[in-house]
Amino acid sequence: MVENRPFLTLLSHLIMIAGVAIVALPVWIAFVISTMDATDLLGGVAPLWPGDQFLENYATILFQGEQASSAPPVLLMMTNSLIMALGIAIGKIVISIISAYAIVYFRFPFRMFFFWMIFMTLMLPVEVRIMPTFKVIADLNMLNSYAGLTIPLIASATATFLFRQFFLTVPEELLEAARIDGAGPVKFFIDILLPLSRTNIAALFVILFIYGWNQYLWPLIVTTEDSYYTVVMGVQRMVAVPDADPIWHYVMTTALLGMLPPALVVLFMQKLFVKGLVEQEK
Amino acid sequence: MATIKIDGLKKRYANGFEAIHGIDLDVADGELVVIVGPSGCGKSTLLRMVAGLETITEGTLSIDGTVVNDHEPGQRDIAMVFQNYALYPHMSVFNNMAYGLRNRGVGREEIKRKVADVAAILELGDLLDRKPAQLSGGQRQRVAMGRAIVRDPKVFLFDEPLSNLDAKLRVQMRIEIKRLQRRLGTTSLYVTHDQVEAMTLADRLVVMNAGRPEQIGTPMDIYTNPASMFVAGFIGSPAMNFLALERMEGGRLRLPGSEAMLAEDDGSNGAPVLGIRPEHMRTVGTAADADIVLSVDAIEPLGADTLVYGRALGQEGEIVLRLGGSHSIGEGDNLPVAFDRNHLHFFDRANGRRADVRT
Repeated sequence: MVENRPFLTLLSHLIMIAGVAIVALPVWIAFVISTMDATDLLGGVAPLWPGDQFLENYATILFQGEQASSAPPVLLMMTNSLIMALGIAIGKIVISIISAYAIVYFRFPFRMFFFWMIFMTLMLPVEVRIMPTFKVIADLNMLNSYAGLTIPLIASATATFLFRQFFLTVPEELLEAARIDGAGPVKFFIDILLPLSRTNIAALFVILFIYGWNQYLWPLIVTTEDSYYTVVMGVQRMVAVPDADPIWHYVMTTALLGMLPPALVVLFMQKLFVKGLVEQEK
Repeated sequence: MATIKIDGLKKRYANGFEAIHGIDLDVADGELVVIVGPSGCGKSTLLRMVAGLETITEGTLSIDGTVVNDHEPGQRDIAMVFQNYALYPHMSVFNNMAYGLRNRGVGREEIKRKVADVAAILELGDLLDRKPAQLSGGQRQRVAMGRAIVRDPKVFLFDEPLSNLDAKLRVQMRIEIKRLQRRLGTTSLYVTHDQVEAMTLADRLVVMNAGRPEQIGTPMDIYTNPASMFVAGFIGSPAMNFLALERMEGGRLRLPGSEAMLAEDDGSNGAPVLGIRPEHMRTVGTAADADIVLSVDAIEPLGADTLVYGRALGQEGEIVLRLGGSHSIGEGDNLPVAFDRNHLHFFDRANGRRADVRT
């Protein structure tokens, strides 16, 4: 809509500013609290301007952790979260692009049956199958391991479906031209299909990284050792300390640190992300 | 340098549909054979079977004396130019051309040299770093050609390569393809639905209809001696006119309403039809000298030629006449027209084949 109506422009800006405020204000308050020390917060009123404890709070929480709830250093938890999120995102992309390739380009018995099997898993997220999955992981001795954290979350119907839809739009002549150029199935996949899926992979990576990073219930169940805690469950542990008040400035510091990596991923990949969702390079 | 031998080739799909009912064709070394026909006649299927992109149901296909029925497309040493070019969108022009060579293990320096040579022939030298999306239609077409040429294959296969170009470029590329094919001397199969393209390019022409070859021959042979009404109507533009004939006593044939006997037969041809090309008719002064009198209903002046459309007494179809130069003929005129007796074609309406008559 190209219209010149000052009032409408003002109104739409107001609405957008209100929207931004609703999202940004809690983050700002969290940041402000994370720069205070314990005494500043005793009044029970959240201040609006940062205090002077920024470096101390962040250094303490990153390298020593919060002592009261005996949580490990946040740096360790963030490393765990990073390993889990990367493992889940990369694992999901690898598995689903390969299965989509099989389903679209190969004719094998029960092809559609397998496709619908994969599709059905959409209805079975971890939360639904948590008991049997836990049993399997426990029997395989994968509790308290990165494998146990990532593998059960890797199979992805959504990503398979997305790649399938993309592969169906790749012109058949490309495959034929590649065959005539002497490329076998693996070469075609690596030389032609993967580069063409670049933007799709990037978009999926962003979504899946955040999905992996935000996992809460599953890591809570499979990890009992401090050294495998992830930051999302770590925050929760700090809030739910027995017989004491949560130390809010440490909680907020951890929460902000936990929000940082997904935000950075979105920030750095947003160009590719939008491209992958909107256009296709053909 | 290679020959192609197609022997009783048939294609039947899983659903029972038979796309090709059996074709025999020998393509000589360096020959350019054009396969032409209306859409759905099986011409593309035939080409794709030669390429190895479709399986062969029956019959054998040999390239250079080796049966290649079960060879992968990559092993047949062929190159194909697709209608939509099928360039790899993420690769530069250089890489598009080099890809086939790399897959065959050609050395880096040799690839560079070969691509540069072909780029020079096709005037693509300045475009080697571009992506296909940055090229015009004609340039993409050249890259597709270059990708085929650079491999120096035994056989070129063209699948309607000019269909996506505008009219002017099409004529230009048509001549270029012909020159290039002569220069390289590579055996080629070329599929098109455009009969002008077919006539101008072909050493030999295969006219296909409904999964069968109707006629195989040189373009002029097919033009002067079409084997069936289908071929006669398909090759030549505007298409050949067909006129119903009356059979008089003694098997003599004449146009309804005309005194002139055009031919006679032994009566074995069911319903004889006269075929005459628009360019083999001329206007005459009086109705007495004419074979038919055309009541004109449309005129198309083309500059060099004038096309006159009209109807004649006793004939159902429209009749087209091509006259050299420009003429002052108006719509509604009655135009006496005589036929060139050397270019009459007789067909049997019942089976569409050329009829056996004495003139």
